[in-house]
Amino acid sequence: MLAIVRPDSWNLPLFLHILGATVLFGTTAVLAIAGFATRTHGEHEKLLWRVAVRTFLFGVLPAYILMRVGAQWIDGKEFPGGDEPGWVGVGFVVSDAGALLLIIVGILLAVRRQRIMLAVPILTTLFVIALGVAWVSMSGKPGS
Amino acid sequence: MSTYQWLLIFHVTGAFFLIGGGAIAAALNLSAMRRERPSEVVLLFGLIRIAVVAIMVGGTLAFVFGLWLVHEAGYGYADGWVIAAIVLLLLANAMGGAGGKRDERTAKFAKELAASGDAPSAELQARLRDPVSLALSYGSGLVLVIVLALMVWKPGA
Repeated sequence: MLAIVRPDSWNLPLFLHILGATVLFGTTAVLAIAGFATRTHGEHEKLLWRVAVRTFLFGVLPAYILMRVGAQWIDGKEFPGGDEPGWVGVGFVVSDAGALLLIIVGILLAVRRQRIMLAVPILTTLFVIALGVAWVSMSGKPGS
Repeated sequence: MSTYQWLLIFHVTGAFFLIGGGAIAAALNLSAMRRERPSEVVLLFGLIRIAVVAIMVGGTLAFVFGLWLVHEAGYGYADGWVIAAIVLLLLANAMGGAGGKRDERTAKFAKELAASGDAPSAELQARLRDPVSLALSYGSGLVLVIVLALMVWKPGA
C-alpha cells in the first residue's frame, strides 16, 4: 500500500490549492495565447487586449489568491513547525516570483491600453512553465 | 523516485491540462458571447482549439495514469470512489464533446457570416447563448471539479 493517507482536515485546503493552481495555469495561458495571437491578428488587437484584461482580473487574480491561500493553509497544517522539505520550497518560490510577475503583467496591460506588448505573452509563458515545474515538484515530492 | 511518484506526476499533469484547458475554453467562450462581429467570434472560437488539444491530452493522461495509480497504490478498481471518478470522467468527456460539436457548428456559421459582410446577426447571438450548449460545456467543467474533489477526499478509501 503506497498511497499516502492524509488527515481529513487537510483535504479542503488541498482541494482549494489544486483547484486554484489548475485554473491559474489555464487563465495565465489565456493571456499568453491572446498576446501571441495579436502578432498574427493585428486587426483584432483591441479585442484580444480586452480578453487579456478581463481574464487577468476575473480569472488569474482570483485563481492566484485561491491557490496561495490554500497553499498557506495546508502548509500550516502539514508543517506547523515551519521546517518544510525542498519540494514545498519550490512551490513557494514559484508562487512568490509569480506574484511579482503578475504585478508586472497587470501594469503592462494597464499602461498600454488596447494593446498587448510582446512582454505580456513572454512573461505569462514563463509563469506557465514555472507552474509546470511547481506541480511536478509538489506531486512527485522528490527526496521525500 | 519511486514508480508511484512518477505515475502521480503524469496523473497530476493530466489534471492540470484537463482543468486548465477547460479554464482556457471558458474564458474564450465567455469573451465570444460578448462580441457582435462574426469575425471576432471566429477568432475566439479558433483560439479555443488550443484548449481542446490541452483537454484531450490532459484527459488521456489523467485517465491512463489514474488507472495505473489505482493498481500501484493498492486501491481496488471496485472501490466506490474509483468507479464514481471513472463514470464522471466519461460523463464530462461526453458532455464536453457534445457541447464542443454544437460550438463547432456555431463557429462555422460565424465564419460564413464573416465572409459575407461581417454584419452582426441575431441568430449568431442566439447560438452563442444557446442554453443547451452552455449547460453541456459548463456542466462538463463542473463535473471535472467534482472528480477533482473525489481524487482529494477519496471517500471510502
